[in-house]
Amino acid sequence: MISFRTLLYNGNTRLYLALASKAYARNIQYRGSHLLHNFASAVFGYLYACIWIGLGRDHSLGEYGMIGMMQYITFTQASLWVSSFTTNGLGIPQSVRTGQISLDLMRPVHLFAHLAAKEAGQIAYQFLYKSIPVYLIMLLALGLMPAEGGRTLPLALLALTGSAYLSICIGYLIGISALWTTESSWLHWGNQAIMNLLAGFFIPLQWLPLWLQQIAWASPYPFMLYAPTQLYLGKGDPALLLGTLAWCTVLTLVCLLATHVMRRKVEVQGG
Amino acid sequence: MNTTHVGQRTEQAAIEAINLCKSFRTPVVAGGKFAGVRSLFSREYKVKEAVQDIGFTVKSGEFVGYIGPNGAGKSTTIKMLTGILHPSSGSVRLAGVDPHTDRRRCASKIGVVFGQRSQLWWDLPVKDSYDILAHMYGVSDKDKNRRLDEFAGLLDLNEFWDTPVRKLSLGQRMRADIAAAMLHDPELLFLDEPTIGLDVNAKRNIRGFLKVLNEQFGKTILLTTHDMDDIEQLCRRVMVIGGGRLTFDGTTEELRRKIGLPTQIKVTYRDGYRLPEERLLSIHVVELGEHTLTVGVNRQKTRTMDILRELGHWGEIDDVEMHEPDFEEIIRQVYM
Amino acid sequence: MTQSTQMPNRTNRAIRRYIKLYLLLIRTSIRSRMQYRFNFALGSILAALIQLSEFLMVAIVLAKFGAVQGWSVYEIGYLFAVMTFSKTLYRTFGDEVHHLESYLVEGELDQLLTKPLPVLLSLMPRSFRLMLGEVIQGTAIMIWAFGGMLGSGQITWWAIPQTVFAILTGAVVLFAIGLATATCGFWTTRISMLQNMTEDAAQTAARYPLTLYPNWMGGLLLTAIPVGLVNYLPALYILRGELGIWVFPLLAAAACLALLLALRFWTFGMSKYQSTGS
Repeated sequence: MISFRTLLYNGNTRLYLALASKAYARNIQYRGSHLLHNFASAVFGYLYACIWIGLGRDHSLGEYGMIGMMQYITFTQASLWVSSFTTNGLGIPQSVRTGQISLDLMRPVHLFAHLAAKEAGQIAYQFLYKSIPVYLIMLLALGLMPAEGGRTLPLALLALTGSAYLSICIGYLIGISALWTTESSWLHWGNQAIMNLLAGFFIPLQWLPLWLQQIAWASPYPFMLYAPTQLYLGKGDPALLLGTLAWCTVLTLVCLLATHVMRRKVEVQGG
Repeated sequence: MNTTHVGQRTEQAAIEAINLCKSFRTPVVAGGKFAGVRSLFSREYKVKEAVQDIGFTVKSGEFVGYIGPNGAGKSTTIKMLTGILHPSSGSVRLAGVDPHTDRRRCASKIGVVFGQRSQLWWDLPVKDSYDILAHMYGVSDKDKNRRLDEFAGLLDLNEFWDTPVRKLSLGQRMRADIAAAMLHDPELLFLDEPTIGLDVNAKRNIRGFLKVLNEQFGKTILLTTHDMDDIEQLCRRVMVIGGGRLTFDGTTEELRRKIGLPTQIKVTYRDGYRLPEERLLSIHVVELGEHTLTVGVNRQKTRTMDILRELGHWGEIDDVEMHEPDFEEIIRQVYM
Repeated sequence: MTQSTQMPNRTNRAIRRYIKLYLLLIRTSIRSRMQYRFNFALGSILAALIQLSEFLMVAIVLAKFGAVQGWSVYEIGYLFAVMTFSKTLYRTFGDEVHHLESYLVEGELDQLLTKPLPVLLSLMPRSFRLMLGEVIQGTAIMIWAFGGMLGSGQITWWAIPQTVFAILTGAVVLFAIGLATATCGFWTTRISMLQNMTEDAAQTAARYPLTLYPNWMGGLLLTAIPVGLVNYLPALYILRGELGIWVFPLLAAAACLALLLALRFWTFGMSKYQSTGS
């Protein structure tokens, strides 16, 4: 069953590109107000940086130092728009409410591939019009230059691409839960909260208590923010990318399996 | 429902609109790059006259239809009448009270239903919404229960009494909403497209209830609609708005007459027919069939008997059908 | 009866009626939420976990560095819990104020203008939010923080009524900030960006003692966006004996002033809405 669907999944590149570019284009008309929104996002980032600056006045900030932590927060805050702020459940809860879901499942395109392509367009838009502006505003506000002269950016962006895919998978799984509960938006918020903690958004993972570090490394979250940030700061081993790749594979399989279960559930309910 | 005071009220108009005007300023949206950002700082405005110099009086107990194409100023008028919007100039009196200086007092005298929105609580069962509204309007438990009993019978409210509003069908929701608007027993009811999106049965149900409210309880009703059946079956009086101005105000028959749309006559001839070279100017041919002929005639200008006599000259008549102009057609003519 | 005694009577009746309305709303909201027990439980547990993970972010920093600007881990927990309680109170009753944007975008505000109440008073009872998760989390942290500080003799039982007072005035301050922010929507329609700064970011900032921040930012958080009045200022007196007992009348006065200004602004915005309909 799964292998058959994977075949479909690979087969239709043109369609996926079209879906992605449509999602991208839908956003582009609002880019003016979105650019203003970035200001709010940068204020948040600035606030978090201020907390570290304040802490740095009384304490040494370990292997990062004050500048290092400012760079750290700058990169994670900008990356949130790629790895955390995705569409709630990829829009599945909405289509479950309206009953659209049974139609979506009947299409000749696999639901996961369909929604993933759409969300990829959304994330591409957010990267260009949110992540980059937030990154630049924060560099300016904190008086920083790109870490390591920007030489580490390509590798960090590669890791971030992986984290975009991971966030699509997690969004999809949250969306599917909407078939069983009306409270799936709580899972969405919960995911963002856990992200803040286990992905090392505000606090570098090595400063977490040991038990929490163990939990974190048993999950895909470190690869969504922490790993790209380590690569950006020039502290990470490129082998971290293998972890990203492994989690991408695992989550893809879980998503395909979940679709299978969902299809059965929808069929039993009669749509 | 207390109807003993009707006699005293007839002196005072239920709705009085005097020279109502409303203009909106909308910022000019610039095109090109960063349009969104630039329009935030732009100080250029375009003035749109949504409603211009509208005046009318509605007497207590009337049932008035207010129609017009989208964007003609219908909703803007309704919003000004109900105290939601302030007019740029002109004034409104509802039973003598100005809804703009005295909004809250007016609000307890009127019921308002928006077809596309609900005033009920989305997550609560229907009956709980009524309880909360009763408190909001200061309706006693006794009055509330008595009225709801009446409405429940007329609108079949019982079938969804305990259902959360979000689970109601559109027709059920509209019934529940109209009952909610009548809970405090207002004299005056405003309905903005109450039948929009409903199926035939639901429409019939709602029209029946509105008729009862108007005829048996003496409520004054003003409704906007796109459905001409609403107008034809309910309203004795129609007001038409076009381009922000009142273009017609009179009875439905007057409206029909004013347009003077042709009556269509379909004649079946036993052995075919022959069109004469010269015929009455008031008859024009709509459709030619082998044995049947459809003509349009203006009955304001020519008597029906004269027309039938003329048609009889063209062949031996087997059957005649007459169609009055379609109401939709009339309205289309008024809007044009 | 003279005119002067009639008026207060009528107002009294209206107020009593409004309170009854609210109690009814609370009762029915709870009842309808309880019909879907599983969803309610799941939502509450997740909300508590979200809150807990937010507190963990603060707690881990403290565990790593000991104290922040000389504030102990219990004191910071106290700051966090007071903010949680005030915010929960504000959002329980004022959630619709926070969500005014959707009313503006979908034109739902018109409906409220046809009600015989001031618009704000018809808006607030449109929903009653049950925030059990936040209450659980706030209570847990508060008990822990109180336990620690009572045990060390830093505070006495007197701190409890004082804290309750701070939570109440804090809720009023947060409501006023929320209302003023929402009112901006009458001009801009979209307000989520502004809320991000005046509500979310500001409340996050106030989880730490304000001395942590640059002076201008600390000043801003005590005046323009006075979230510091919710937890930081009361904590200075209640926990650390700084300032003086006059903090309480000051808090009450500031909360009243903030509310009054926000209401003025709201009325102004409302009249703008009614004359432009935008």
